[in-house]
Amino acid sequence: MNCYLCDRKISLQVTWRSLFFNEPDDVCCSRCRNGFEQVAAGCPICSAEGEGKCFNCVQWEATEYEGLIDSGTSLYRYNPSMKEYLHRYKFLQDVILSEVFASVLKEELQGQKSVIVPIPMNDEKLKLRTFSQVDRLLDAASIPYTHLLGKNRVALGEKSKAERIELQNVFWWNEKRVPEKILLFDDLYTTGSTVRMAAKVLKDKGAKEIKILTLIRA
Amino acid sequence: MKQVEEFLIGRIWLRNFVPFPKELVDRAIQIGAISVSLGITKEKQCVRCLEKSSQKIVSFFCAACQKTCFYCRHCIKMGRISSCTELITWAHPSTIPLQNHSFSWNGQLTPQQERASQQVQKSLLQKNDHLVYAVCGAGKTELLFPAIFVALKKGQRVCIAAPRTDVVLELTPRLRAVFPQTTIHSLYGDSPEETGFAQLVVATTHQLYRFSNAFDVMLVDEADAFPYSYDEALKRAVLKAKKKEASIVYVSATPSSHLLKQIDGVSKLFKRFHGYPLPVPAFQSLWRYEKEFAKGKIPEKLKEWVDERIEKKEPFLLFFPTIELIEEAIVLFKKTHPMIEAVHSQDVNRKEKVMKLRQSQIPGVLTSTILERGITIPNVQVAVVGADQPIFNAAALIQISGRVGRSRDYPDGKIIFFHNGITRQMDKAKKMITSYNGGQ
Repeated sequence: MNCYLCDRKISLQVTWRSLFFNEPDDVCCSRCRNGFEQVAAGCPICSAEGEGKCFNCVQWEATEYEGLIDSGTSLYRYNPSMKEYLHRYKFLQDVILSEVFASVLKEELQGQKSVIVPIPMNDEKLKLRTFSQVDRLLDAASIPYTHLLGKNRVALGEKSKAERIELQNVFWWNEKRVPEKILLFDDLYTTGSTVRMAAKVLKDKGAKEIKILTLIRA
Repeated sequence: MKQVEEFLIGRIWLRNFVPFPKELVDRAIQIGAISVSLGITKEKQCVRCLEKSSQKIVSFFCAACQKTCFYCRHCIKMGRISSCTELITWAHPSTIPLQNHSFSWNGQLTPQQERASQQVQKSLLQKNDHLVYAVCGAGKTELLFPAIFVALKKGQRVCIAAPRTDVVLELTPRLRAVFPQTTIHSLYGDSPEETGFAQLVVATTHQLYRFSNAFDVMLVDEADAFPYSYDEALKRAVLKAKKKEASIVYVSATPSSHLLKQIDGVSKLFKRFHGYPLPVPAFQSLWRYEKEFAKGKIPEKLKEWVDERIEKKEPFLLFFPTIELIEEAIVLFKKTHPMIEAVHSQDVNRKEKVMKLRQSQIPGVLTSTILERGITIPNVQVAVVGADQPIFNAAALIQISGRVGRSRDYPDGKIIFFHNGITRQMDKAKKMITSYNGGQ
């Protein structure tokens, strides 16, 4: 098989482990795999580098979004390899690349007690991209999830943080029952406004504890 | 509408990515000047690059049409093509008027080049395919100039396809100087946008995916080169890009036996344009070089070779079999010579680094086979580490040896194959080079 990322042939690594456990073959080669940098430690909410709660998350605590997120993790740093990956997955629409992080996400989310809620896309964007990159990551890992939110048609991309906070009604509740414990899942954590706006809607509708998981911390 | 025709004639393009207002395109479709087709056929073949393997044509649930669609991974970097993607092409006959061309080249062809040049023109006239089998540094490009000029004057559309961006970048300025009146488009990944209708197109073989039934004359440079020889899809792309009756001129220093058998018209040029013989590779053992590198040591003989190049201020290329080994080695070389650089196919700064070597800003470059052809650096000295590895077949080794002694000012130079045991391919490369030097 060829590596999904560099298209070079993956050399078969026969180990005792691979002989005895029927593990699925990796879809990318070890060189590409090693290009990604896993988060070792960081902010207990967003995994930003450094010790303790990061400046950004402390600032959030001084707004009306105080205390919405109970804890959180991000799995990877946004290094050049990850930027390239995300570009190909999201913008070149190479859907199959959702499988690259399947086993990592599976390990992270298997046996999760909270209900997993992906951050949604708005219908217009979804039609244009032809797939939801967040949902597909979970699908590839065979992790069940429940959509509780819908998204309005406003692009956050070009907005400053202050403007983002202004946009109160980015997400709406889809009227499904809201469980007490929720884990919000998104692909990329940048300023933290997306997950907080989503968390606000869900806590208003009865959620008691909200954790977040993002694949990448920008 | 004229601009739309100039852009779209002979091309096959994503409907949503044409650089024209949507209304204009819609109107052209209405009057039948543009035809529309879906991106993936029922047989699951990509209409643009003609890929059909199940590894590259993959399915997904498409949110746009709410059903399973297929998309092509092979040409995805040019904008994804899926079952519901619309491709457009110009359907009306051409209304583009004849253009003026001039030929401004004051070089002189050698008698050998002259003969080959005449043979190419004759094959084109008779609509036959032709192969120019010429050693590295024979002056293949120049001998094609007269044939290109004749075709342009007849109003024919000409394409020169080369397997690598590096080759396209080297060819384009030369052609623009020789045909100063001609609109020439230079196409490769991330090339700047070109406007108007180009009668002469220089393109990487990849870019040919975007053409269909376009060219009256198709020149395929380095016809044997990876990825062309490996990649069936690229071969199909050459056939798709040209008009049905158009002939192909293959140019190669290391044609496959298949190509030699397949084509009747062959011109052989076994002498370099400056008349000096090809440098013959010298074999030197470099036992257990991989283990040495793994231990963090540069093998002694190799270290001496590099030190000597730097001391004599000779630019050098040092070829490696794998990217992994390059990455291991460059760290060690940089300890003593921090200016040495490494390049490989995954390296985005490749263009700049090669430029620096040309301008003597850096002493030398460690490289993968990516630089095995199309590059000319005066007085360059070359060595191959691990010449016994399978990636270095005879064709690759001949091409690599062909980097040496290309300029009139430095017609000789050394080429060393460092090895961990001599292979048949190494022997074959050496024998062939020796036979070229001995004439036919």
